[in-house]
Amino acid sequence: MEVLFNDLKKLHQSIPELNEVIQRTVSDFNFIRGKQVTQFEESFKAVLGVNHCVTTGNGTDALFIALRSLGINPGDEVITPAFSWISSSETISLCGAKPVFADVDSQTYTLDPDRIEEKITDRTKAIVAVHLYGQAAHLEILKKICDKHHLFLIEDCAQGHLTLEYGKYAGTVGEIGAFSFYPTKNLGAYGDAGCIVTNSDTLAEKARRFANHGALLKDDHLVEGMNSRMDTLQAAVLLAKLPHLKRWNEMRNLNAQLYDQLLDGIAEIILPLQRPDASHTFHLYVIRAQQRDELKRWLANYGIQTLVHYPQALPDLPAYHYLGHDKGAFPVAGMLAKEVLSLPVHPLLHLDAIQYVADRIRGFYKK
Amino acid sequence: MEKIKMADLHTQYLRIKPEIDDAIQQVLTSTAFIQGPEVNAFAQALGTYVDVNHVITCGNGTDALQIAMMALELQPGDEVILPVHTYVATAEVIALLGLVPVFIDVFADSFNLDVTQLESKITPKTKAIVPVHLYGQCADMEPLLAIANRHKLYVIEDTAQALGAEYTFSNGTRKKAGTMGIIGTTSFFPSKNLGCFGDGGAIFTNDTVLAEKLKMTANHGQRIKYHHDIIGINSRLDTLQAAILQVKLKYLDDYARRRNDAAAYYDLALAGIAGVKIPHRSGNSTHVFHQYTLTVERRDDLKKELEAAGIPTMIYYPVPLHFQKAYARKSFGEGSFPVTESLSKTVISIPIHTEMKPEQLAFISETIKTFYTT
Ligand SMILES: Cc1ncc(COP(=O)(O)O)c(C=O)c1O
Ligand SMILES: Cc1ncc(COP(=O)(O)O)c(C=O)c1O
Repeated sequence: MEVLFNDLKKLHQSIPELNEVIQRTVSDFNFIRGKQVTQFEESFKAVLGVNHCVTTGNGTDALFIALRSLGINPGDEVITPAFSWISSSETISLCGAKPVFADVDSQTYTLDPDRIEEKITDRTKAIVAVHLYGQAAHLEILKKICDKHHLFLIEDCAQGHLTLEYGKYAGTVGEIGAFSFYPTKNLGAYGDAGCIVTNSDTLAEKARRFANHGALLKDDHLVEGMNSRMDTLQAAVLLAKLPHLKRWNEMRNLNAQLYDQLLDGIAEIILPLQRPDASHTFHLYVIRAQQRDELKRWLANYGIQTLVHYPQALPDLPAYHYLGHDKGAFPVAGMLAKEVLSLPVHPLLHLDAIQYVADRIRGFYKK
Repeated sequence: MEKIKMADLHTQYLRIKPEIDDAIQQVLTSTAFIQGPEVNAFAQALGTYVDVNHVITCGNGTDALQIAMMALELQPGDEVILPVHTYVATAEVIALLGLVPVFIDVFADSFNLDVTQLESKITPKTKAIVPVHLYGQCADMEPLLAIANRHKLYVIEDTAQALGAEYTFSNGTRKKAGTMGIIGTTSFFPSKNLGCFGDGGAIFTNDTVLAEKLKMTANHGQRIKYHHDIIGINSRLDTLQAAILQVKLKYLDDYARRRNDAAAYYDLALAGIAGVKIPHRSGNSTHVFHQYTLTVERRDDLKKELEAAGIPTMIYYPVPLHFQKAYARKSFGEGSFPVTESLSKTVISIPIHTEMKPEQLAFISETIKTFYTT
């Protein structure tokens, strides 16, 4: 049996109106800031119950725009997890600021709140929390730390569309939430796309300006900015997909529950923990496995696609050698990099496929 | 007569609709939305078209400039010379990276960077020059490159408005805009000569090592997946857009010809009218007429008159960069860049695109003529 990590073809076929939506958008011929862009911003902010949504070219730009809108400048420090996709730290460097890595919680894989305060200096301006794999970071605690030290909280929600902590949506607790709509995300466009959300009028205006060459109106460049826009075509696709997001998240959760049952009791692996006070979008279903690389190869031989998110702790990347961290300075991140394995969990995955994957994993450790 | 538009992309699309629709459908079927095979195929085809070894596609023309400057490792404090009569993107990227934009005035006739002033702007901190091939015609590249070579400066050609324009050197060598400096950048914004159905951009270079660096910079600093060697950004051309561009590239020369036909009509009809200066044709460069830009007296009145007659026009650019609020802190006084300041009050771009009808050209020309002769 072939088990795909993602099945965008099937997903596309499951929404028959998408072809027509795209054809209609092409016929409208308003490819830059067409009405679908505003409609998506309105719809997405309504779903999250937040005051503003500003669309961007992708999720990395969204983070950069968030940081710049909050005034992160050269010389500033921003605390960010040692284990994540590189966007959550590279955008800090792009501001000319210094990414200060903090280790993650060994159970939830999100920022460890106990490792934060030791990193705060008088140059610290903000914390970037990543809702890794789809589980909310320890938002409430992080928010308290931020309030106490007068820091901004930026939420990287690229993997956490509609994830909750204490009943609050990820992206709505910090000053700004940054989203990616990369095609394989829980809500994915048909190309690159992203957005930021915020309750602050001022920040929303700053972000909108910054993402549009520093201008709200044509030729009114009040500040320097950049070009980062969501294409009208992508907004149209996202508008058509948005009503399905909750259902897809539920399907991912059901898949995860089934994995939990079927993989229970295998001593060599650790299953993802689900916090009782938070929800999980299961953008990724990530186990920690002994002999991870062998297991990955074994599964590949059975036609099962798996991925490693991520094979290196961020501070260990050549791009961050200049920070001069010792290897092993972030023990949890280092351990995760060796152990994590993401299993297929996409919403249209068949139950048989999950059973098949679980059986093959069991088989690997029995051999 | 059909309603006159600044750009008529829709009719242009309808002429090749089956081909474009097919290309879109193919991507929807493959669902390879990011870095699908069409992206590379388009990059190859564009490389062949402009005759350059490496084409790196990216998210838009502004990103293209940013990636270029990052890959060249320009450092905060480095000075970059650029024309002050241009779109804001060029200056903004320089500022975004903490570099120092050094403005230079333009020639009143060609609207392009005044190379005779170039050496006076060069300091020990100067690292690069960004000529912009404005409105579709190449800047004076031969003298510019000579000065750049002498001072060991990088030349990054902003080719957003001049894709396909060709420059002839004094020895007879001909090169396409964007392939003469170390790097060329371009934009596929829908209304550009080669426009996609959203944002898009590309970077050209003949330097293999630099090409690798540009590619990495546009892709989070990765050479191989998950191996981030340098700080980068995320800037990609969507597969969907590449598929559309691949179709349209075949027609780019035809598009340039159609624009030139319209320009030739205007030239003839508007030459000799007192108060109107038709665009100057450089002896060294072909023109792809992204814009047809007149320099006129009583510009704002003309604009109103044309508007009343149902003729849209645009002013590129009404506020010189040195007067933009974003740069106000650098406090440039009135008269700092006299040509650009004068152009901001006198230039007017009139409709030019690939679908102009003879009766539209006649009507526009006639309306302008009447304005100045009655
Ligand atoms: C945690 C995280 N942050 C940021 C991003 C960046 O999003 P994008 O790829 O849209 O730039 C991603 C996804 O790729 C991500 O997973
Ligand atoms: C001269 C020039 N440079 C750069 C750009 C930026 O291109 P883009 O809009 O694709 O970011 C443009 C067009 O908008 C332009 O005209």
